[in-house]
This record gives sequence, C-alpha cells and structure tokens, in this order.
Amino acid sequence: MAVASPPASRDPQPKRREGGFQVNWTALLFMLPAALLLLIFLVFPAIFTVGLSFDRGRGGEFSEFVGLRNYINLFTNDPNFLRIGFPPSGALWNNVLWVVFYTFFCVFLGLLIAVMATRVRYEAIIKAIVFLPMAIAATAIGVIWSFVYFPNQNTGLLNGILGIFNIGPVAFLGSPDTVNWALIAVGVWGSVGFATVILSAALKGISTEVLEAARVDGASERNIFFRIIIPMVSLPISVVAVTLVVNVIKLFDLIYVMTRGGPGTSSRVIAFAMYQEAFPAGRYGYGAAIAIVMLLLLVPVLIFNIRRFSTERVTA
Amino acid sequence: MSKFRLVAPFMIIMLVLTACPAGDDPGTGGSAAPGGSDGGGGGGEADGSITVTSLWGGAEEEAFQAVLDAFTESSGIKAKYEANRTDYPTVLRTRIQGGNPPDVAIIPGIGTLRSLARDGSLISLSELGIDQASIEANYAPGILDVGVVDEELYGIMVKLNSKATIWYSPDRFGEMGVEPAEDWDALLQLTEDIKAAGGTPWALGAGDGWTLTDWFEIVYLKMNGPEAYDTLFSPDGDWTDPTVQAAIDKMLEVLTAENIEGGIDGASATLFVDAVAKVFSTSPSAELYYGGGFVGGIATGADVNPDLAGQEGTAIDWFPFPTIDGNGEGLVTYGGDVMAALVNDSDVKEFMEFLTTAEAGQVWAEGGTIISPIVSVDTSVYPTSLIQAEAEQVTSAEAVRFDGSDLLPADLLGALLQSALRGEDTAPLLEEMQAAMTTAWEEA
Repeated sequence: MAVASPPASRDPQPKRREGGFQVNWTALLFMLPAALLLLIFLVFPAIFTVGLSFDRGRGGEFSEFVGLRNYINLFTNDPNFLRIGFPPSGALWNNVLWVVFYTFFCVFLGLLIAVMATRVRYEAIIKAIVFLPMAIAATAIGVIWSFVYFPNQNTGLLNGILGIFNIGPVAFLGSPDTVNWALIAVGVWGSVGFATVILSAALKGISTEVLEAARVDGASERNIFFRIIIPMVSLPISVVAVTLVVNVIKLFDLIYVMTRGGPGTSSRVIAFAMYQEAFPAGRYGYGAAIAIVMLLLLVPVLIFNIRRFSTERVTA
Repeated sequence: MSKFRLVAPFMIIMLVLTACPAGDDPGTGGSAAPGGSDGGGGGGEADGSITVTSLWGGAEEEAFQAVLDAFTESSGIKAKYEANRTDYPTVLRTRIQGGNPPDVAIIPGIGTLRSLARDGSLISLSELGIDQASIEANYAPGILDVGVVDEELYGIMVKLNSKATIWYSPDRFGEMGVEPAEDWDALLQLTEDIKAAGGTPWALGAGDGWTLTDWFEIVYLKMNGPEAYDTLFSPDGDWTDPTVQAAIDKMLEVLTAENIEGGIDGASATLFVDAVAKVFSTSPSAELYYGGGFVGGIATGADVNPDLAGQEGTAIDWFPFPTIDGNGEGLVTYGGDVMAALVNDSDVKEFMEFLTTAEAGQVWAEGGTIISPIVSVDTSVYPTSLIQAEAEQVTSAEAVRFDGSDLLPADLLGALLQSALRGEDTAPLLEEMQAAMTTAWEEA
C-alpha cells in the first residue's frame, strides 16, 4: 500500500488563461507518462485492495465476496487489532500511542533543541549530532537499539548502565508493559533531528527586530518564547507534526526489525498487522481491510495538508 | 528536438506496456489441475530434479541433506535443498503467487497447511497418486491425520519431538538429594525440596508464548484425556469450559513467582533459548525446564553449552511429564513438521513416497535432530541416549496428541496464558478468545 500526495505538476497556469476552456495537448502529452505510471502502480493497486478487503481473498485473489465481514471482525472480534477495555490494546491502539507521543516528543524536543542551539556558539555541531540519526536507515536504527536494549549487562548498553546502580537487567523489549514506550523512544531518537532542523530554520526566519522590540518593551524571555516565537513558527510546527503523523501511521520497519510485533502481539502497529495477516498468515482479504483502515486514517491528514498548501500559496 | 518531444511519451508508454506481465504462464503449475488420469499420478512433466524448501539450517539441514542424498542415490532424481531461514511463510507464499513454487516444502504449522490447501496451492497425496491407506501402516495411529485438510491428506508428518519431557541435571539432583517426580504432587514436593536445598526450581521462557501453550497442552491432556483434547482444539472447542480454567490453574500451581527464576516479570521477558540456558549453561541458575525433546539438542549446542554433549544421562537428562491426580499415564503431546507437494509430477510423487519409507526415516534419525514418525525405524539408530529415550516415549505412548495451539486458526492462546501468568483474571479473556476463535475457525 503506497500512499503519495498527488503530483505537484498541477500548476494554476491554465486557470489564468482568459476565455473558455482550452485543451493544452502538449501539456497533456507530457503528463501522460506520469499519469499512466500512477494509474498502474498507485490507482489500480488501491482499487484492487479496496475490492480485496470485501473478499475472502484466498491466495491473494478474489475468491468469495464477504461484504463488510472483514471490517466487522477487525473492530469487534480481533483482540490483536483492537481490544477495547482499560487500558485498550492492540495494533490500532498502539498506533494511537505512537501518533500522540512520538509526534509530541519529536516536536517538543525538536523545538527545545532548536531554541537552545541558537543561543550557543557550537550550534552547527549540536544540530549535526541531532540530525545524524536521520542519515541512518530505519532498519539500522532498529539493530542499533536492539543492542542498546538487550537484556544483558554485558551486551546491552542501557542495562550495562543500570547495572552500575545494581538495577536490572530489564528486558525493555520483552515485556508488554514497556515495549511500546521503548520503541517510541527509538522512533523519537530517529526523527527528532528532522524536527530540529526544520524548526531551527523557521526560528532563523523570525526577524531579530521583533525580538529586540519585545525585549525593549520589557517582555520576559518566557513571554517572548510563548507569545512571540511559538506563534511565529506555528506553521512550520504543523508542517513537521503532519509529516511525522503521516510517517508514523505507516510505521513498519522499526517494529519488524526490533520486535516483530512481540512479545506476543503487544507491539504490533497497523502496518505490521497488515503484513502479518496478509503475508505470513495468508489472509489477504483481511490484510487488505487493515490496509484500507490505514488509508482512511491517512486521508484526513492528507486533506489537511493539501488544504494548507493551497492556502499557503494564496498568502505567500 | 521537437520530434523527440512527441516521441518520448510514446516510448515510455510502450516500455510500460511491454513490461506488464502477459498473463499467467501456463507452464508453471502452482495449483495445477489434478493429474492421475493415467493412474500413475503426475500432472506435469518430470525433469529429473526436484527442489525442496524448509527453514532448517545447521545440524537440522545436514540431517535432512542426508535424506535428500539417499533419495538421489536410490532414484536418480536430483534433489536440491533451499533454506529460507527467516520469513519462511512469507517467502513460500510469494513464490506460490509468483507461479514459481518449490516442488516440495516443509509447511510451517498446520494453520498454514490448512490455508494453503484451501487456497489450492498444495497437491494432495491422492492427486499425486499416493493412496493414504497404503502408507498408513508406516505410522503410529493418528499421526498422518494431522496433515489432513477437508478429508484429503496434504501433508506428511516427517519429523516430530515429544513435548512431555522435563529437563534436569542428574548430577545436580544428586547433590541436592532430590529425584524426578512421577505425579503432580511429587512435582510440587520436588519444587519445594529444591527451594529447601537453596536452589531455584524452574526456568521459564514465557517471553515466547508457545512455551506456555506447551505447558497448557500437556496439563490439559493429562487432566482431561485425548478426546476432550481433540474437541478443545477443533472448531467445536469451548474455551469457556471449566476444564480450561482448571488446567490453567493447575499449571500456575507450579509456575508461581517464588518457583520461577527471575519471578514472573523476569520469566515474561525471557525467551525460550535463554530459559534453557538458565538450567544448562556453565553457570546455571535454575534446576528444571519443561520443554520439548528439542531442548536436549539446544542445551548441548553452540547456543547454550556444547560441553554438555557426551554427558547425556549425567549432566543432562529428562523425565516424563508427571501424571496429574493419577490421570494421564502414557499420554504424550508432540510437535512436528509436515511436508507437502506443490507441484504435481512423477519426481515429486517418488520423493513423497520415499519420505514415508523406513529407509528415509532411518537416515534422518541417524542425524540426531529428530524423532522419525515412521514406526519401523529402530530406536537404536538414534545417536544419543536422550533422543533414543524420547523416541521410545513416543512410540510406546498410549496416545499421542499433536501440539494443539499449532492446530488453532488464530494465535491467541499464548498471549492469554502470558496474561494468566501475570495474574490477570482469565475468565473475560477466555470469553474473548472463544468469540475470536469461533470467527477464526469460520474464516480458516
């Protein structure tokens, strides 16, 4: 299931033409290859997946129409996907935790580091260090952190440190109570650099005159931060947040490398549940239904994104 | 330049169109039509070679390679082995969908066998032209039935392991002055005696849910007998039945925080091999481990303690899982792998027939990694005393029952037992599982 935003080639130029609707054949011709590729590799698979989600999907083919049964089972009868209770659990709930905490901590820490880094001389070094994990493939991040969390004081870095204080060893990835938090921490580590760099650039965009004027008027640093800096970088913050939300709804690689959804099924996320049901378990129709749920969760975010881009163009 | 501008898009279209697959290649037959009209079986053309895939590596692969070599020697058909160590079911399904299935594959679990058979991806033995009745006598009763889906035999059980073995060190038992237990009360007493002697009784790898399902299955079988066991692990099974709760309570009599190394939290975070190591590493921290016959191979292997090899019977041994309240004598649970054909031709037929012979079983058994399900394999061919005794336990059992959780269509029991171990109330979880399992059986 690949999800991509529509091609940015829809320039407003044709609209500006005076007079009635005119077909620009050359432009169409140039768009045709891209449109064809999108049709074959994006639109067709998406429609096929929608169809499959209403089917039993034996062997990955249409075999028996089941209507909404896959969806009903998914939400009412699959504790691995969603168990409503206190606390809730399941892949969908885990993904909610990811969206909330991963996004919040990435933005929060990113902003914090960006603000603090602008005030020191070795800003470039700090930003380079924070950004470094962005250059590491997610699978490699998974392997690195598997070693960090390893429940042995000789192999696991974190348990080695805890061992100094005579704590542990703690199996961070081995217990359903800790595994999701341990994974989210890894995700934050991997993405905070992205937030830092974008927000830092945004901070640079705030003119110093505004800040100086505020200081002259006697605003405290705290007020400057909350009343001036935050409102002025609110648009970049929402860009970063939306990008992170989209990424995290599609999250798969970290889970696959580090826990395979385990222990048991306690660290599954939506994309991993989709993989698990469709491929190893061979329930393609059911897996397709999970994919469609994921797509539907992404749609509001994407609409928000597209809307904002179009309003941005007007105001810019 | 302007000419090229017009031509380029068409070139791209042509490229895309030619790259599209031109429909299914009729030559490859993942779900080839049943052959056998000529009586000799074989729908496709035999080319004098077969490919077999499994997820075995290391010693297991070597032992199986010996079987393939013996097959090539006796039939003249080349047999190539391909191992997929990770994501085996995914790779297998992808190969099937891509129209390039292996000729024969070990099928990872009965749930997968059932689903692949119903997908039409497997060739049943009758389609191959092999009569189930003609090979039935080679196996202990019930063993072939595990590979039956919708009344057709698809998978042949090729290797198995007892899951009624409790592992310990006779040397350390001697030092503590304790002895293996024959019934449940004696097992509880043994647990207390080990604590009194200053030891920690049990290791448990509850991080792997299946170690707990094994516990549950043997306890359930011993308490309720084979018929109740068969019902529970069938579509008619009722997980809200009081016998289920009783079996969980029974196993938790032993698996308490005081009895397990690391307590409940530690055990919940321990994986299978690490738990084996707690009893058999060079610095052991627990005395007893319940697990399948394969524990012996792992404990004496490179992952745990190779020095133990050769010390079977002194530094490492097992005793049969005890009876419970006088019930379950001679009842054994076991796990195993089935092999199935994915291509219908005479080479494959010959290979599948070969797998059912005592010759194949014997060669495989000599490798020391498996118990052969074939009854005529003499137990003296097994290389170590541990595996010999295991084979005897299985062949002399009053009734053997296949690993029940492997028969279930949904993977829910392990997580439920993990919750039970942590002290959660199991009644609502069992109700939830019953609902999900009913659906899963319908969807299987």
